Amino acid sequence: MLDDLPEQFDLVVIGTGFTESCIAAAGSRIGKSVLHLDSNEYYGDVWSSFSMDALCARLDQEVEPHSALRNARYTWHSMEKESETDAQSWNRDSVLAKSRRFSLDLCPRILYAAGELVQLLIKSNICRYAEFRAVDHVCMRHNGEIVSVPCSRSDVFNTKTLTIVEKRLLMKFLTACNDYGEDKCNEDSLEFRGRTFLEYLQAQRVTEKISSCVMQAIAMCGPSTSFEEGMQRTQRFLGSLGRYGNTPFLFPMYGCGELPQCFCRLCAVYGGIYCLKRAVDDIALDSNSNEFLLSSAGKTLRAKNVVSAPGYTPVSKGIELKPHISRGLFISSSPLGNEELNKGGGGVNLLRLLDNEGGREAFLIQLSHYTGACPEGLYIFHLTTPALSEDPASDLAIFTSQLFDQSDAQIIFSSYFTIAAQSSKSPAAEHIYYTDPPTYELDYDAAIANARDIFGKMFPDADFLPRAPDPEEIVVDGEDPSALNEHTLPEDLRAQLHDMQQATQEMDIQE
Amino acid sequence: MAKTYDYLFKLLLIGDSGVGKTCILFRFSEDAFNTTFISTIGIDFKIRTIELDNKKIKLQIWDTAGQERFRTITTAYYRGAMGIMLVYDITQEKSFENIKNWIRNIEENASADVEKMLLGNKCELTDKRQVSKERGEQLAIEYGIKFMETSAKASINVEEAFLTLASDIKAKTEKRMEANNPPKGGHQLKPMDSRTKDSWLSRCSLL
Repeated sequence: MLDDLPEQFDLVVIGTGFTESCIAAAGSRIGKSVLHLDSNEYYGDVWSSFSMDALCARLDQEVEPHSALRNARYTWHSMEKESETDAQSWNRDSVLAKSRRFSLDLCPRILYAAGELVQLLIKSNICRYAEFRAVDHVCMRHNGEIVSVPCSRSDVFNTKTLTIVEKRLLMKFLTACNDYGEDKCNEDSLEFRGRTFLEYLQAQRVTEKISSCVMQAIAMCGPSTSFEEGMQRTQRFLGSLGRYGNTPFLFPMYGCGELPQCFCRLCAVYGGIYCLKRAVDDIALDSNSNEFLLSSAGKTLRAKNVVSAPGYTPVSKGIELKPHISRGLFISSSPLGNEELNKGGGGVNLLRLLDNEGGREAFLIQLSHYTGACPEGLYIFHLTTPALSEDPASDLAIFTSQLFDQSDAQIIFSSYFTIAAQSSKSPAAEHIYYTDPPTYELDYDAAIANARDIFGKMFPDADFLPRAPDPEEIVVDGEDPSALNEHTLPEDLRAQLHDMQQATQEMDIQE
Repeated sequence: MAKTYDYLFKLLLIGDSGVGKTCILFRFSEDAFNTTFISTIGIDFKIRTIELDNKKIKLQIWDTAGQERFRTITTAYYRGAMGIMLVYDITQEKSFENIKNWIRNIEENASADVEKMLLGNKCELTDKRQVSKERGEQLAIEYGIKFMETSAKASINVEEAFLTLASDIKAKTEKRMEANNPPKGGHQLKPMDSRTKDSWLSRCSLL
């Protein structure tokens, strides 16, 4: 079956994680021949989502020196008291029986509704492959309790967490942030340039509670975040409000592991070839043709460009990996926070956690069955923090104790693992482009920037993921599918078609 | 904008490479047939609206985009699918044998109540036939699904097959609606109107 694989490609991409999939799709979209390989039997690499069985199997998998997923362990907890009133009592067996109903992310993210990824999905039309759930609540910890942070205007209006005076202060502050930048000479803000956002916030004489709202949840800042950065982050939050749902955030239905697959689908639609369970054994540069020679399953492939994810052989051979992100993944039969935060079967909630000094942070994503990521009655808690050590549980201990010590969350399953990153560039193969491992970020900005950068280096003048036509726009005329009915095409596609025709003509002349 | 249909059904085509999935898709959606389809023009699904019992049904039919070739269909492909056409080629024994693998794949990835149908395509090639109609029927009975032999080239049964699948899904959907069990929904991303920065403020001006 593998023998009918072509031998020559413009681009071979190794690893089907988010960044690699972005690059593969972008290459295929502009007409490059793309081969996309993964030695795993699933899509997504460390950006994948798993069923319950598959996650356990993945965490049990033997760790090799170059494995990006390491330090993994998981525990099943037996409930102290089996509740008799509940129709469904959850335990290891009943959870595993519904294994397929889970989409457990290795690398969960939350999307800003007007953020980089959402814009890219819409611009490229890849959005038709996915659905999203609006995040129900953005939360913060205040006096040891988890409370909802008012996001929209009506939220601010209706919240019981703030007093009337606080509501006015918060609105005034957010309005000022929203207006910032349009008139940079604003004297009020001018004096804060080069100082911290916290100083600015304090100067506005807001209450401690509002300060927490803004620092913890809205601007997501630390004490040393600069004034400009804080303003930018606040604007990013405000700019994503009012688009879908009540908060500025979205979560992909069935987990973040769907996203790389959406890019892969586009790549395939434009002719990209996919092989999973297929490793590359060796890569060499043919100095005569300036092409890469890849040997894979006894076959030699030629590629003009090679992109690889970290942690894949052969490029990662002899490379040391260092811990990068520490992850905790918990399954519980009760949600975190009060009734208000979990109306109608549980909210999809976001909570940013800080240690007491404010120097370290983590984010928690609570998922309910509304995301399609777990069965009804169960909740997933995803905890993510930048790694300090090879022990993810101890890295996260300060945050898990904030969350679980005082709460009555009924944890059934807990797991910890590390996502590692290469500590140095591989000397094995120069001219190969490496994608970055998942960084600690809420959205996908850094990953997209990384994909765009690598794509730009390979194909300097090409458009990154231009809009793919809607099926309705492709009109097949009679018996000849290549005869596109030009007049029914929207302007941007007509221009693309025109370019293509011109290119074909030029090719004819050369021949 | 008013909805121009009563129901929207997402259907998938599944089966080995070369069994004629794309041809079936084009026969049904465009009433056209051509053996040299170019994947690079970026077709991943086609839409056709049909009418059943005075209800307008918009069928969104998805093609595999070649990802069936090395068994690398994404799990995302199966999300939200309400009906699946399993296609084999009556002149290729192997494609018939592989149907059971595709069924397993569907069971692993698609929703449990997805409506399925088995199609033996290229039935106009009688002199090259390797799989008898009886074997097709037998397999369909085994899985408790409907069966038809089709020809995208000679335009045999393609229309009928989709109408059958659609009407089965419609019956199921209506039964579920009577049981008052609304499906849960997510957001589909839409291009944003070029809002001004002030939109956040313009919602309400009381404070």
